[in-house]
Amino acid sequence: MKAQYQHELMTSFLLWFDNQLLQKGEAYSNQTGVLYYSEDSRLPTSFKSYSSSYKQWVTDSSVTGDINPIIPTSFNGFDRSDDLVFDFENGRVVETGGNFQPDQVLTGTFAIKDFNVYFTNETEEDLILENAFELNSRYGESLSGIAPYDQVVPAVFLNCEYMRNQGFAFGGEDKTTNTVKGVVFAENSYQLDGVLSIFADSARKVIAKIPFSEYPSTEYGDLKGGSYNYTNLSNTYLDTNPYYIEDVTVSKFSEKTTSKIPKGLKIGFIDFEVCTSRFPRS
Amino acid sequence: MALDPNIINSLTKQIPSLARPQVDKQFRAAFQRVKNEMIAEFLNHPVTIEIKGGIAAKNLSGTLDNITNLFSFIGFDSTSDPTGDIESMLYKTEFKFDRYTNKSIEYSVYIPDAKEIFAATPMPWASGRSWAKGIETGISGLGYYLKVDRENSRSGLGVQSPRKVRKKGVKFNNISYISALIKKYKIKFENLEI
Repeated sequence: MKAQYQHELMTSFLLWFDNQLLQKGEAYSNQTGVLYYSEDSRLPTSFKSYSSSYKQWVTDSSVTGDINPIIPTSFNGFDRSDDLVFDFENGRVVETGGNFQPDQVLTGTFAIKDFNVYFTNETEEDLILENAFELNSRYGESLSGIAPYDQVVPAVFLNCEYMRNQGFAFGGEDKTTNTVKGVVFAENSYQLDGVLSIFADSARKVIAKIPFSEYPSTEYGDLKGGSYNYTNLSNTYLDTNPYYIEDVTVSKFSEKTTSKIPKGLKIGFIDFEVCTSRFPRS
Repeated sequence: MALDPNIINSLTKQIPSLARPQVDKQFRAAFQRVKNEMIAEFLNHPVTIEIKGGIAAKNLSGTLDNITNLFSFIGFDSTSDPTGDIESMLYKTEFKFDRYTNKSIEYSVYIPDAKEIFAATPMPWASGRSWAKGIETGISGLGYYLKVDRENSRSGLGVQSPRKVRKKGVKFNNISYISALIKKYKIKFENLEI
């Protein structure tokens, strides 16, 4: 199946959301640490995985701040030319050449996001009440690698719940509106207020419509071409019928119900109304 | 003998102001009929009836496949009257004299817009969200699942275990509600003539 409107919307939205959080909130920190060897049955047996204590790592080189994020390109002198794959999504590197031993020492510096960002199709009640997400705290030190693939918090889960087309102009042009909902899991109220504040201010902004094929990550979580710059990518496509954020509402999950929330996490909601004009029947 | 055109013109211009008391009366009656019709339509909407029915209501709106009712699903406090706030806002629909134009009198009508109503209808568990908007765009089942037992239930209708309820798969089916009502009656008020 080829990519449809909603695929492009959610891809573009996720990249924009991540960039806003990192740029406006400077919601990242540079960490120096060891990468720990870890088994991963999903990888070919010749591959060796070395995980940091955190996921996801920052990939966007357009993000700047008081201290710029460090996007790793090598560990102990080993880089992509030494068969290393940088799995930014899972916060690890994978050696694919069969040259490393499990006791290979890898240390380095990398920027981690304060909030992981995920797509989800789960309902809010399942996300909040059913899932026992592992807390991958951004405070304190951990002396082990974090397991790959599982989703961890602090995080924001994005889901496009609702889409509708309304007549917009003669000739078959419709206004397509999508309701994109975000559930924010924060470690504390400061973090939660920060995220809600950033996105409450995003009403009436435009988002570049980035083609599905331009998604910057490979299947292993590394960057296509070794780097990714959201601002440059966005500028390339910003003039091509962008998405418009018509309305945003943010709210916190009632304090009365926090006893039901695991690990004392603070939860909030961001509801976006994202629209664009298009010809859905052509 | 024909009247001077200036006099005719002057008299014509006076007609609206001279007729205004009578026109006001007739317009008020016509306005009130439409306003009453709007409030009646709101009160007879299946969502309104269901929520007004409280924890014992049937799922008349069909939004929850008869598994529970809206009052419990949204998680309203048992003493609350959620639709009462909307009703009050609709009652505030009013008109006022706007201006005289050529042989006519124009009135402006204030009717709350959907956004105002959404702002006045917060979810019990997330005050920035509107349950009235949620009827149209979808509501998460959080309010329902959070009620683990009768004692802790704010609506009074408890469920034994959130896991047990979730197996039933309560899915919310959106339906039109406030936006459609306001849109319909905005047009009716705009076209009101006597």
